[in-house]
Amino acid sequence: MSSMPDAIVKQDAKYLADNARRRKQFSLWFYFLCVAIALISVVILVVLMISIWSQGQSRLSSDLLTRSHSELEIERSGMWPAILGSLFVCGTCALVALPLGVGTAVFLEEFQPTNKLLRWIHGFVQLNISNLAGVPSIVYGLLGLTVFVYMFNVFGQIRVNESAGMEIMGYKHFYQVLTLEPGHVVFVPQSDPTKRQTTFDEPFQAVDPDGNSIEISIWTPGTPKPSDPAIRRQTVRAGAIGGTITERSWYYFRLPFDKSFLSGGLTLALVILPIIIISSQESLRGVPSSLREASMGLGATTWQTVRDVCLPAALPGIMTGAILAMGRAIGEAAPILVVMGAAVAKSTGPKHLMDDAVTMPVLIFNWAGRQQDEFKELSAAAIIVLLVVLLLLNSTAIYIRHHVQKAQS
Amino acid sequence: MTLPQALQNREFRSTRSGALSERLIVISLALCATATVLITVGIIYMLITQSAGFFRSDAVTMSGFLTDTEWTALQSKDLAQAKFGIMPLLSGTFRVTLIAMIIALPLGLITAIYLSEFASAKIRSWLKPILEIIAGVPTVVLGYFAILVISPSLQLFSDGAFSTFNATSAGIAVGILCLPMVCSLSEDAMRAVPRSLREGAYGLGCTPFETSVKVVVPAALSGIISAFLLAFSRAIGETMVVALAAGTLPTLTLDPTQQAQTMTGFIVEMIKSESEYGTVQYYSLYAVAVTLFTITFLMTLVGQIIRRRFKESYQ
Repeated sequence: MSSMPDAIVKQDAKYLADNARRRKQFSLWFYFLCVAIALISVVILVVLMISIWSQGQSRLSSDLLTRSHSELEIERSGMWPAILGSLFVCGTCALVALPLGVGTAVFLEEFQPTNKLLRWIHGFVQLNISNLAGVPSIVYGLLGLTVFVYMFNVFGQIRVNESAGMEIMGYKHFYQVLTLEPGHVVFVPQSDPTKRQTTFDEPFQAVDPDGNSIEISIWTPGTPKPSDPAIRRQTVRAGAIGGTITERSWYYFRLPFDKSFLSGGLTLALVILPIIIISSQESLRGVPSSLREASMGLGATTWQTVRDVCLPAALPGIMTGAILAMGRAIGEAAPILVVMGAAVAKSTGPKHLMDDAVTMPVLIFNWAGRQQDEFKELSAAAIIVLLVVLLLLNSTAIYIRHHVQKAQS
Repeated sequence: MTLPQALQNREFRSTRSGALSERLIVISLALCATATVLITVGIIYMLITQSAGFFRSDAVTMSGFLTDTEWTALQSKDLAQAKFGIMPLLSGTFRVTLIAMIIALPLGLITAIYLSEFASAKIRSWLKPILEIIAGVPTVVLGYFAILVISPSLQLFSDGAFSTFNATSAGIAVGILCLPMVCSLSEDAMRAVPRSLREGAYGLGCTPFETSVKVVVPAALSGIISAFLLAFSRAIGETMVVALAAGTLPTLTLDPTQQAQTMTGFIVEMIKSESEYGTVQYYSLYAVAVTLFTITFLMTLVGQIIRRRFKESYQ
């Protein structure tokens, strides 16, 4: 009988009552602990919001939204190029990641394989996607740097201030020739705009900065230099090579991509691809199978079922997931920093596909890391702008979710 | 005999072209799925080929990389004096991650218990969005928060024992970052535990505390552990917070009041310094990335194995 449980052996009324009271008391304390700890997250959010608002609200002005970063006029620095840059980078990212992600999700969810090999491949892809979701974003940044920016050096190394590699389309080269007199510049219109360099061996026509056409003559080294400064100003050494002025259309394209917003956008697409795939898969899984069966029963093929039944039913869920993923992309700084560099001195948005760009998080990172208090305040103000953008995105997602839940019930 | 309108107007297309386009679509969707595999292959190929450039150099040895106690890739431009030992970077990462986990795991788990066991629907409906907002805050913002609020208050409470940039404030900020993730994943796991288990516990006279801690949490343990592992690997890979708040000095110490440079922090410093492409210093980026990738990859893998093997199923 000694092996009976304590609770039954000690049938002492006082002991039992005490024990019950103690346990209930303990449970109540635990409840209070839970409430207190759950409130911590609320406190954190409130402190975060208040501290950033109080630090940055004085700098929320039209200057912030319309001007660019400036070292000289810190009090009038702004973030307009960064807003444009974020828009372009995230636009590229969405254009690439959305079709790819939704396509993968459809393939994994709707085309369930029947034979063993294909089932193995399915399982492998699935495992691979959940592993990709756990890869730190900075590793994606290095991937983007190696693949998009340098392309494994297949096209030669990037040199400073010179675009390397293969230019494919959308460019026009002009030349700029500095004459022997310092500060006097003439432009030479280029007859063959695909050539990078021409050497000047014969007299040629040029245009000065005022638009007047002038004849440039050639001086061969070894022969005496013309002594008259006026003639000298129209003379160039034989074999001279002009600096290139290149006019690039918006579709200017070259390989490798270098530190362009295209590289940044593609890299971000890699970062959010797993998120988009997983959320699309979940919303496709939420489509009741009776709908699929009805469609198949009417004679539709699998793809017709997917296109006309499953995708429309899953669309709100997919859109919610996509918007949340875009929110992640807009706030992501590390991969962009690695791919496009930490420099923020840029006064316009990207002009062509291969142009570099500044994004909002990179600008915030740059400003927040500086010593001057003005930049700290600016960075708080930029954070407020970024958070407002994110809040707009998130409320759109919540609105879609809410709206659809109502419509379906 | 008249056919219905729908059948009269129907154009019966050949099914052969339909079958062909169907197949083409399946192939293009399969190509999308292949892209994800290509990304993995790309990551691994890149890490191997580029870090080979690092280990091939005379200044570096594998054993030195793993055991040396100094990391001076950025401080000394002269290759002969540069020391490449991953230990200080690992120690920085470890300190920041440990502090983050001390914050995120208990707080996240208890909040999750509260949400799934105690909170009323009304409280849930405003506490969940708050957690989602914290989860959506960009990491660079949390890094700024660490410099602006956490570091000064740490200095205030400790009479200046903490340096301006220190492992603790970065760790706290990373902890805040991981908290919503731990919370929502553990809550999902606990909500999946069937009601009958709770009812059984209450029927045997358990208090709410005993029900949640002795019945629900063990039942959801596999999900909770994989949530912890995910948070852990997220904290290791976290970049912007440590780049802003942890400092830039690789130190090999356990003192949380000191500066720390993490692996990710080093990568950012290196990129900011715009070091020349092709040098050993530059390739050391990839050696650090290999270490980082291996650790997080193992974490994710272990998490998946735990979730799969120890998953308890209830009918």
